[in-house]
Amino acid sequence: MLKNALSIARKEFADAVTSKRLWLIAGIFLLFSIASTYSTSFGFRIGARQTTRPMVQIASSIASATAYMAPLLGIALAFDAISGERERGTLRILLSRPIYREDVINGKIMSALAVIGLTITISSLAAVSVSILLHNISVTVDDVSRIGLFILFSVVFSFAYYALSLFVSTFSSKSSHSLVISIGIWIFFAFILSIMSSFIATAILGPPPTRALTLFNMSRRQFGNFTTPGGATPQELEEYLNYVRKVSEISGAIQAFSINYHYTQITSSLFSFVAGPLGFGRGEITIASIPTILSTRLIDIIILIVFPIVFLVASYMVFTRRQEK
Amino acid sequence: MSLAVETEKLVKVYGNGKTMVKALDGIDMKVPKASVFGLFGPNGSGKTTLISILVGLLLPTSGSAKVLGFDVTRESVEIRRRVGLLPEGFGFYDHMTALENLVFLATLDGVPSSQREKRALEALEAVGLKDRADAKVSTFSRGMKQRLGVAQSLLKDPELLIFDEPTVGIDPEGAAEFRNLVRKMNRDGKTILLSTHLLYEVGMICTHAAIIREGRLLVQGSVDELYRSVREAKGFRYEIRVKPGSDMPLQEIRSIPSVIEIARSDNRVTVLSKNDIGSILFSLVTKNPYKDIVESLTPVEPSWEEIYRFYQEGG
Repeated sequence: MLKNALSIARKEFADAVTSKRLWLIAGIFLLFSIASTYSTSFGFRIGARQTTRPMVQIASSIASATAYMAPLLGIALAFDAISGERERGTLRILLSRPIYREDVINGKIMSALAVIGLTITISSLAAVSVSILLHNISVTVDDVSRIGLFILFSVVFSFAYYALSLFVSTFSSKSSHSLVISIGIWIFFAFILSIMSSFIATAILGPPPTRALTLFNMSRRQFGNFTTPGGATPQELEEYLNYVRKVSEISGAIQAFSINYHYTQITSSLFSFVAGPLGFGRGEITIASIPTILSTRLIDIIILIVFPIVFLVASYMVFTRRQEK
Repeated sequence: MSLAVETEKLVKVYGNGKTMVKALDGIDMKVPKASVFGLFGPNGSGKTTLISILVGLLLPTSGSAKVLGFDVTRESVEIRRRVGLLPEGFGFYDHMTALENLVFLATLDGVPSSQREKRALEALEAVGLKDRADAKVSTFSRGMKQRLGVAQSLLKDPELLIFDEPTVGIDPEGAAEFRNLVRKMNRDGKTILLSTHLLYEVGMICTHAAIIREGRLLVQGSVDELYRSVREAKGFRYEIRVKPGSDMPLQEIRSIPSVIEIARSDNRVTVLSKNDIGSILFSLVTKNPYKDIVESLTPVEPSWEEIYRFYQEGG
């Protein structure tokens, strides 16, 4: 069985690395990563940015690009994985060989994992290398570990979208349908759900306390730092911060349905400095250690891993049970 | 009689409730080894469903089927190891060359790596595409793709070849070449199961045939048996050609008791009889006064349209 799956994987991999679609996405990915790291590292060089851990901030900017590009990479590899074979009639030729249906899907998954792994690793390392070479950014062992983990989680994230899109592809008779559905789900998770979650949270909690909000805004305008209250009493400020905290909690609970949310939680923990409450500009204090991040973000990591597994199992079930005439 | 395919009360139902469609309704089919078996039926009669079940792409709802002695539900991989299939509506990887496509498929067929390219080239040669081995499939015409389809079914040197609507969309010359190839493969001892909705194809290359309609097998048997049954039911037809301008006396022929009808047009006389009167007619036309007038006497086989209509109306 493995022999047949490997034969299919080899062919799929060869197809992928010669595909214009993959090169386009990988190129955009690389360009985004390099552009964002370049601008960040350039900021350090000219003194506009200051930090004790420049590589962490550079990697953080790669993570922003990856959050958008990794799902597209997964979708690009999967949306026509099965439906395309069905459309072209090659699935009939494949299934008339003495192989199991699982071989077809396993081969495609193996190839996709290799392509996703290579694309994300090469793009991320290229972007990091640009910063190191052009702007003399130093790298610590901890930085390397964080970037390694980031690449690993990004591959899993991209693969989650691959699995989702593969599932859609198994029951679609047309690749165009599969693409529209997959992109639609990505847009929902990446953009619509976060907007919706804020609306829902505001609808549940009602409008923010007006006076507190006004005073809070005034204080920010006047002093640029809300730790020096500009007219807001400590109670009013506390009331407002409580409101914001609740909005954030409700919004987070809704966004927990999105795989993007969990990925962002993990990567932002890897590359963020621990700041004041709610992050309102208390400045850099420290950066959490990797074991601490892994333990505090365990649920996010589990969800990130379970998500593709669920869709892979669903794809297996649909594809192996579906009868192709 | 040794059988390549044997089905028993094979039923296939798609959907359920109001959307339920019975694609196959109790098919009992027997395909003898080393035959060219034509499965004839109009579009939507269940041919592709039946073939898909035979190679394990579909599961039957009930009934059983064996191909080369292997059960279709439990041993479909073993069947596909021994059966070359040309499915309907198949495709190739257009960005790859003909040879690359075949080598890849030979890998999945379990052909040893040292023999893959050789086997692929042999298959291409068999279908007359060897000179296009390194051309991308995207440059192939429909007819060439169809031939490539036949080539891929030959890769594993199968005992049984199943072709589903193999000549659809190819030009008459290509169809003729395909029929020659089928005859050659049959001479080499291969069993060929051919599904078609083209009646003349059955008559031209098949040794055996079955007619399927709305999921039911109306009739099956050797082509000779099918001809004979129709002749026995509809009468035996003979055509006598006479020299142009000669007057053929018909009284003696009319006096043969089983003769039903005699028709004459120009220099051709058609005789329809309840029984086989071939030998009587022969002895008649070889003596005077017919001897000098008659050019030929030939029994007229029923056309496949007649055969189909006959069984469609209940046989």
